[in-house]
Amino acid sequence: MSSESPPPAASGDNQDELILAQKEAIAQDIASNASLVGNLEPVYSLEREFSHDAVFMTKIGNLKGRYAELRRTRPDGNCFFRAVAYRYFELLLHRPDEYERIKALLPRAKAQMIELGMPTFTLEDFYDNFMDHVDRVGQAHMDAQQLFETFNEPGQSDYLVVFLRLLTSMQLQRNAEFYQNFMEGDKTVAEFCATEVEPMYNESDHIHITALTEATGISLRVIYLDRGSQTEASLHDFPDQGESAATTPLVHLLYRPGHYDVIYPVKSTSESGPATSNATVTTTAELSS
Amino acid sequence: MADESSMGSTSQAALLLKKQLAELNKNPVEGFSAGLIDDNDIFKWEVLIIGPADTLYEGGFFKCHLIFPKEYPLRPPKLKVITDIWHPNIDSKGDVCISILHEPGDDRWGYEKASERWLPVHTVETILVSVISMLADPNDESPANVDAAKEWRDNYPEFKKKVAKCVRKSQEDLL
Repeated sequence: MSSESPPPAASGDNQDELILAQKEAIAQDIASNASLVGNLEPVYSLEREFSHDAVFMTKIGNLKGRYAELRRTRPDGNCFFRAVAYRYFELLLHRPDEYERIKALLPRAKAQMIELGMPTFTLEDFYDNFMDHVDRVGQAHMDAQQLFETFNEPGQSDYLVVFLRLLTSMQLQRNAEFYQNFMEGDKTVAEFCATEVEPMYNESDHIHITALTEATGISLRVIYLDRGSQTEASLHDFPDQGESAATTPLVHLLYRPGHYDVIYPVKSTSESGPATSNATVTTTAELSS
Repeated sequence: MADESSMGSTSQAALLLKKQLAELNKNPVEGFSAGLIDDNDIFKWEVLIIGPADTLYEGGFFKCHLIFPKEYPLRPPKLKVITDIWHPNIDSKGDVCISILHEPGDDRWGYEKASERWLPVHTVETILVSVISMLADPNDESPANVDAAKEWRDNYPEFKKKVAKCVRKSQEDLL
């Protein structure tokens, strides 16, 4: 990888070229310092980063009762999708019910993507690759360690991310009339998808999360660790179930301004990946409701 | 060559390119033909674009190199026209500047924000369809060849003459 040099600039000392070059340099710096998906860490490892900050420290302190571990993802603009994908595949290792559900859902989603006019040739490539990994994990042809390695192999890891981006785009475009309400200026939903959803390295917002959870039926809880003055980090469930949330979401993410990591609730860390070995316990509460 | 087959991160790219090449050989698309510059390097393609009918470029054969980065299809390829060509959106070195070959955020050519950008779902076919439509319909708002753009706007007869010369020369080159 290190032998690659950035392509020579097309023209002279253009300001835009300099900005692009700088962006590239920052991206390479991040890439060399952060794994695409990291190892499990205790939640309190966050305290080291925020020891100077009382608001964050209080919130992290309160998190520790509910969340045990954290898995960082590379802040490359794909972190939301990569974090969801990783955690979901991890769950598929022990959740035959989810495996059956997603296996039935994805072919329908693909048909809807083709209906929308996504180029079949490439779409099928991303789809086949994603489905292949769903099968490998769901049928125990891949273990947690191999999953971890797969997600840290850039080509493969990004391929899985692309498919989730396409699913998100599909959901937005199929419900364009509704999502148009959330567009800024006179941007259409299709334009938004072409510039903010489908291209890699573009950060995700509330709207991406809503669409992805709708498209996949994967329930998600985001814990917002931000500068708000409450003592508890605020949380948001997708789909929104209001206060009376009966079910525990499948995937939990920790949000810090501009970035998402995977976070593991205290009760379910036993099935959380290569750092742990006894990978059998899944709470039936999640299964039954 | 050794590096591309052994480097894990490029295997997806190589596979997708191989599949596309096989597909294009089996079911050719009207308007262009595609092959490799060197049979051992799937990342470097040679494409022959046939000047579209009812345009100034009709009858021309434009040889291009389509060079894919290791990060393909996450990042776009670069397209260079090797045959001499006179066109507002192709610079003097043959680099083709259309928005579909640039990622969002890469705004050096001043494309409109909403114009179509590179997406991982784009294929060799969708790229070349865009290029062929660019030949038919230049975009003088983001010219890579300012002289050609000016001439196309202000001195069309001269522009036509230059293009006709390129077309003739491209036919001779092919013989």
